[in-house]
Amino acid sequence: MRAFNYCRPTSYGEAFHWLAGADQLVVPVAGATDLIPRIRDGLLRPDVVLDIKDLPDMRALTPTDGRLTSGEGVPPGLYVGAAVRMNELARSELVSSRWGVLAMAAASMGNEQVRNRATIGGNICTASPAADTAPALYVLEAAVCIKGPDGDRTVAIADFFAGPRKNALHRGELVVGLTIPQPPEGSIGHFEKLSRRKAGDLSIVSVAALAVRTDAGYRWRLALGAVGPTPLRSPESEAILSESLTDEAIDRAAASAYGCCCPISDIRSGLEYRQAMVINLTRHAIHAVMAQMPTP
Amino acid sequence: MTMPFRGPAAVPLVLHVNGEDFHVFVEPRRTLLSVLREELGLTGAKLGCGHGQCGACTVILDGETAYACLTLAIDCEDREIRTIEGLMRGDSLHPVQEALIAHDGYQCGFCTPGQVMSAVSLLEHNPRPTDDEIREGMAGNVCRCGAYPNIIASVAAAAELMAAEGD
Ligand SMILES: Cc1cc2nc3c(=O)[nH]c(=O)nc-3n(C[C@H](O)[C@H](O)[C@H](O)COP(=O)(O)OP(=O)(O)OC[C@H]3O[C@@H](n4cnc5c(N)ncnc54)[C@H](O)[C@@H]3O)c2cc1C
Ligand code: FES
Ligand code: FES
Repeated sequence: MRAFNYCRPTSYGEAFHWLAGADQLVVPVAGATDLIPRIRDGLLRPDVVLDIKDLPDMRALTPTDGRLTSGEGVPPGLYVGAAVRMNELARSELVSSRWGVLAMAAASMGNEQVRNRATIGGNICTASPAADTAPALYVLEAAVCIKGPDGDRTVAIADFFAGPRKNALHRGELVVGLTIPQPPEGSIGHFEKLSRRKAGDLSIVSVAALAVRTDAGYRWRLALGAVGPTPLRSPESEAILSESLTDEAIDRAAASAYGCCCPISDIRSGLEYRQAMVINLTRHAIHAVMAQMPTP
Repeated sequence: MTMPFRGPAAVPLVLHVNGEDFHVFVEPRRTLLSVLREELGLTGAKLGCGHGQCGACTVILDGETAYACLTLAIDCEDREIRTIEGLMRGDSLHPVQEALIAHDGYQCGFCTPGQVMSAVSLLEHNPRPTDDEIREGMAGNVCRCGAYPNIIASVAAAAELMAAEGD
């Protein structure tokens, strides 16, 4: 592996000082599960590796009384610091209480060793279309909190993914965390993924479904991973399911999800298999959500 | 105030491994695995793939398993590192090691130190795992000899040994 400098700033001032270095490639690192293989394979040649884990609030996992939603007596949202690790999400009672779809996605990632190190910030910054937390964050309509030398900004998760391995960060910016609105009580989420092995492999297809409880019933959200240049929502499927949950409606919703995708063939799966699995996995996810709905 | 960054040449580090402090002088690019094996002579953790795919390099960092091949040594200062060399108590093997011997939980043995560390950590977090929980907890450790059924049986047996010791 090529040699590099290492720094582990404890203040943002210090971090941005290094990140602004004009003549050097300064690359942030958190869990290093993506970065080390890339450096080792010569795909990335950083001069400086900047460890973000000791920056303020990077490991925070707390309820917010945020601007995003409001509620009575219950925390209206969740703040997840960028350096929060998958196993922390998967095992947190707070996360499972209302954001279970994110806990499921985190639990599905890699394997125990990877989940103990891999962070949510690293997962989205890699901007792989197959990033497993992404479909969950899409249906939860999370917002990405970004800090840079010129101040703070917030970007909707769907705008953060810009293309395969491209995110919305400008040079010198860091993701500091995510704010996730709290779905109303009685909402039901589910995450499902298909991969070559059950553990330790990226998704061939992944699906997150969230039935958001409303006075009249449920408003559905559906997101897919690994089947296009970025994760994506399927608005038509969402509209169909919010209207009706008959077998025929579910078939149409799954077909619409298929229509949204523009998958590729790669080492994990051929195009046709991927397309067929979009329909199957979408159906599974819908049924898994329905199975948890209270019987009228 | 900004701290100077460290490297790219060797820098001094203190690593806490198996309850002892080790002073090493290594480049920031060095992985924990290479430092354990080449600087400290702790060759239990193995280099299988070097890409987070096999688990032969598994160690326990602050009570949780990690792939030492994907972890920078410089990221491990101020952390408790445990390797298979630290498992014995006096002359006694760890119950997980005993169980692997009793149940033929290995063939060539190359993956075994990693399997043992994953099993130890699993049982520390979940002393009474179901077979499915064992499979899930051990899923990051590949065995090319395919000793899986016996590995799972060994972990289950170790859980019983440890429960009996606790009684
Ligand atoms: C064996 C194995 C299995 C895997 N399985 C899966 C899987 O099932 N699903 C999946 O989605 N992924 C999987 N991965 C990929 C990887 O583990 C995840 O993407 C992980 O979440 C990356 O997080 P990290 O903290 O390790 O990132 P790092 O490697 O530390 O960083 C990844 C990238 O993000 C940048 N970065 C990190 N944090 C920040 C920040 N706060 N601000 C700005 N930039 C930042 C880094 O510069 C780097 O480019 C797997 C990896 C391995 C090795
Ligand atoms: S050597 Fe670390 S996972 Fe294979
Ligand atoms: S015993 Fe040979 S690789 Fe597992």
